[in-house]
Amino acid sequence: MLVKINSVANIGLETVPIDVEVDVAEKGFPGFTIVGLASKAVEEARERVKTAITNSGFDFPPKKITVNLAPADLPKDGAAYDLPIAIGVLSGSGQIVLPAGLNYFYGELSLDGALRPTRGVLLLALFAAGKKGGTIFVPSPSAAEATVVTNVTVIPVGMLADLVRHMTGTKKIPVLVHMKYVAPAGEELIDCDIREIAGQEQAKRALIIAAAGGHNMLMWGPPGTGKTMLARALPGILPPLTDAEALEVTRIFSISGMLPPGVALIKKRSFRSPHHGVSAAGVIGGGTNPLPGEVSLAHLGVLFLDEMPEFPRSVLEGLRQPMEDGEVEIVRVAGHVRYPASFTLIAAINPCPCGYLGHPRRECTCTDRQIARYRRRISGPILDRIDLTVMVAPVEVEKLSVMREHTGLATSREAKISVMKARKIQEKRFAGTKLYTNSQMRNREVKEFSKLTPEAENFLRLAAEKYDFSARSYMRLIKVARTIADLAGGGSILPVHMAEALQYKQLT
Amino acid sequence: MGSPTERVIGALYQIAGYMVSWTYMLPHTRVENWKKLRELAGLTDLSNPPRQLYYTGTWNPDLFTSCVAIVGSRRISDYGRRVIEKIIPRLIFEKKTIVSGFMYGVDQYAHEVCIANGGKTIAVLGWGIKHPLEGTDKKLAARIISSGGLLLSEWEDQKPTLWTFPVRNRIVAAISHEVIVVEAAVKSGSLITANIARRLKRRLWAVPGEITSRTSAGCNSLIDQGYARMWLGDTPQQLPIMKDPLVQLVADHVLTANDIARKLGKPVSEIGAQLSLLTVSGQLIERGGKYYVSEN
Repeated sequence: MLVKINSVANIGLETVPIDVEVDVAEKGFPGFTIVGLASKAVEEARERVKTAITNSGFDFPPKKITVNLAPADLPKDGAAYDLPIAIGVLSGSGQIVLPAGLNYFYGELSLDGALRPTRGVLLLALFAAGKKGGTIFVPSPSAAEATVVTNVTVIPVGMLADLVRHMTGTKKIPVLVHMKYVAPAGEELIDCDIREIAGQEQAKRALIIAAAGGHNMLMWGPPGTGKTMLARALPGILPPLTDAEALEVTRIFSISGMLPPGVALIKKRSFRSPHHGVSAAGVIGGGTNPLPGEVSLAHLGVLFLDEMPEFPRSVLEGLRQPMEDGEVEIVRVAGHVRYPASFTLIAAINPCPCGYLGHPRRECTCTDRQIARYRRRISGPILDRIDLTVMVAPVEVEKLSVMREHTGLATSREAKISVMKARKIQEKRFAGTKLYTNSQMRNREVKEFSKLTPEAENFLRLAAEKYDFSARSYMRLIKVARTIADLAGGGSILPVHMAEALQYKQLT
Repeated sequence: MGSPTERVIGALYQIAGYMVSWTYMLPHTRVENWKKLRELAGLTDLSNPPRQLYYTGTWNPDLFTSCVAIVGSRRISDYGRRVIEKIIPRLIFEKKTIVSGFMYGVDQYAHEVCIANGGKTIAVLGWGIKHPLEGTDKKLAARIISSGGLLLSEWEDQKPTLWTFPVRNRIVAAISHEVIVVEAAVKSGSLITANIARRLKRRLWAVPGEITSRTSAGCNSLIDQGYARMWLGDTPQQLPIMKDPLVQLVADHVLTANDIARKLGKPVSEIGAQLSLLTVSGQLIERGGKYYVSEN
């Protein structure tokens, strides 16, 4: 008997319906074949399905079984077809009767008949919801992520035997209920409170500006001065993810299989800190079936590159497209996919290869040429996209202890409130445009939205003469000044705002 | 030297220097019979004077009337830079020519500050005059020449090697009337120059530095042993009246924005804005995140 089971394939973030056709033939030599551009993982489903069915106490029919995954020209990968194939075999051999309606099966089987966590369940749920009245049968360890989607019935399957009992009607599996998105309260989102960081007031102020205007930031200083801690504090002062944003981030984590079992929705802004040994594919995304890279995992969050000049040039140059467009396009044999990648870049740089140039107590052992070569490793186009540069000087030990008792410092929570206010002002300003934050402004928008008072303009002209600014640096300064003015209430840009922005200019 | 034809050729070179950013190397000339030139009399004080002299640029005897050598280590500190910025404008005002060794660090910074202040400078190379220059070296050389200075060497084809640098130091000392050592470690080429200058009875100055700093140890020991006079610069006639507490604070200590904000008990955003205003207006100088009061 021939049966047709619905399932899906995820190509990047796109979901394509797959028909799993299973034919259990009465005639012919017994065997089990899978056709339809199946990868090794899909091929091996034969052994998993066979064993899982037998171990669950059902019969694996000694007949000629042919499985076709249609459309036949689309390459299929992953273990998610185990469940639809098993259901097809059971129903084709007359051991169960498929329920009526639109049903999608998805999940990897274990040899004992249990279902294992499978990536991409959220994408299936979103796809099924679009089809109206769909029911999805998914592994219970991964089912939580599907509950955030409305208009879809989610049946969590723990064991293959449970599913058979559910279909024969002996014991129904309770449907998972839809969970409403609840924005988390402040504290749980904060990994590292800015108040815990000793000294570095200027760097902390720069963090708040970066968070408020979506600016990328470069920290410059010897090792052990708190650069990593500062970067870690940034997600905590960014405004919480909205409903739609959370779903977008969760989709990326779902497809990369990085969603911890039982977690429905990612509500925390991500903080990604790849090591400098990382490959270009690891950062940008890649693989035969391209998976999201670090830039996409940092979507709407923070990408931290510690010791930026140590990263391979290919990685740094690969950052240019996502920094410009907010997404990456990956082209591989299997096709091309697009992943969102709109992140805030925080880069940390040592002042020289040994790290101690300008350190008050330790002596630097690098030559001028080594230092020049080290600094040249970061190309102009990348630096052009970094609006804020801040020096992070060593903090003296006595100050560390004094600062601990200091209570007058702002907490991440207070910082977040001012950041959210500034973001509101920007939202209003950019209503009707494609922009969200000041950092995204191009030259035309800078001129349109950033009114400088004559005094501020005068000051900027003086500064431009003194430091010999390029047109780009000039625009960057105005953008940063715009954000500083937004943090101060959103009026026009005053000389004080312009002057403060000058503190974060690039080092020459 | 000095014949009309050569002057014309020299002028042509200078024009070429302005118009063409030359691609490979600078044209050079040999000084004919230098021992007869009065402006180079200082070189005859040496027990081993150079056999030949080559130069690039325009020969102007006035360049040699009053030369001051500024020498120091390859590794230049912020302190060294500040010292050079303080010394050189005054020397230029006194119509001195700045002589140095064209090595990166103190030497090149001295050349640069001299050109920036409109002065003339002589760079004594530690290699043959024909040796091609690259990158920043080439640009600096072009600026030295276009500002009326000279590149000088005793060799034509010599490659830079370990021995050529100390050897060229004797020329730096000999053509100068005074030698100022800005920053020098205990075993350094600058001390070789200082020793030669002492033997040639040139007036030797050393800029004192912190006793904990390795790059000032050589200078301090020159002063300690009585070989060099201590250069203290000129104390301002009148202390500027500073009402601004921020400027006052910075005048006493070299501080970062964070330190200033903490000491004055004000938010760093406000202090940052104030520092930028004072820096752009020229009252403060910022370097490597630290602030100084401007001297002029």
